[in-house]
Amino acid sequence: MAKTKTQMKIFTIADYKEEEKWLENQHSNGWKLIKINLPFFYTFEKVQPEKVIYQLDFKEKEATDDYIKMYEDYGWQHLGYYLGWNYFRKYESAATSESDKEIFSDTESKIEMIEQVFKTRMLPVLTIFVAVMLPNFCGLDKLDFSPSEIVFTIIYLVVFALYIWGIIHCGIKLTKMKKELEK
Amino acid sequence: MDSKLRKIYVPMSETAFYILYSLQQPQHGYGIGQAVKEMTNDEVSISPGTMYGTLSKMEKDGLIDLVKEEDKRKIYQITDLGKEVLKIELNRIKRIYKNSLGEKYYG
Repeated sequence: MAKTKTQMKIFTIADYKEEEKWLENQHSNGWKLIKINLPFFYTFEKVQPEKVIYQLDFKEKEATDDYIKMYEDYGWQHLGYYLGWNYFRKYESAATSESDKEIFSDTESKIEMIEQVFKTRMLPVLTIFVAVMLPNFCGLDKLDFSPSEIVFTIIYLVVFALYIWGIIHCGIKLTKMKKELEK
Repeated sequence: MDSKLRKIYVPMSETAFYILYSLQQPQHGYGIGQAVKEMTNDEVSISPGTMYGTLSKMEKDGLIDLVKEEDKRKIYQITDLGKEVLKIELNRIKRIYKNSLGEKYYG
């Protein structure tokens, strides 16, 4: 049986380009992606180091057969669908041209994917923030600060801070990527 | 044709033009990609993500129709509305071409 390793790494919805690069690096170091178990947990298998292209495509709904088939026709292997992202891989030796190394061939479709991420991921998250997190946060001063309340409050504040960081990080980054493409 | 479609497809992107043009014959996504490469001598290539997204959008907008599914491949063809849009676009391109040669052209 081949040697495997599982590694944890956190990528937000705005870090998919970094995620692709990371997976490519892993493969060029001899670690081929086998599966993603839970979010952020990647399992690799020890293989010969090779130059392989990894690409991510965001789709709100799970990949359909015709979608996977079209990518296969183009020489892309579909590795799975995790949390909105379809993972694809192609060996660089199999790519016939530069354009064959990318799953998007024009700027419009790249921008469209970012807009999809915004609409289906950022908007719900923002709505929850405004409708649930923010009112809860404003209600914190009414607590009586018993030990259990304090623990709860600390956990809540950590989540709240992470949430804000996530929204700001992803919001700024996606907007920047979009602006860059629109230039 | 309503103004919304006009706004999206007149003028249309190079990708959209070649896809719509190719679908005067029934074809699936990869087949379109190959045909476009062939007719442009590899100068225009349409990747799968772009192809899939454009086909889905055009189907939703009624420019193309799903003819059948064969071996998991969706085969599309241009609709009457699609032909109407393509005609406008072809005329526009012809005008630009003629004008670029210093000729007058009114379509």
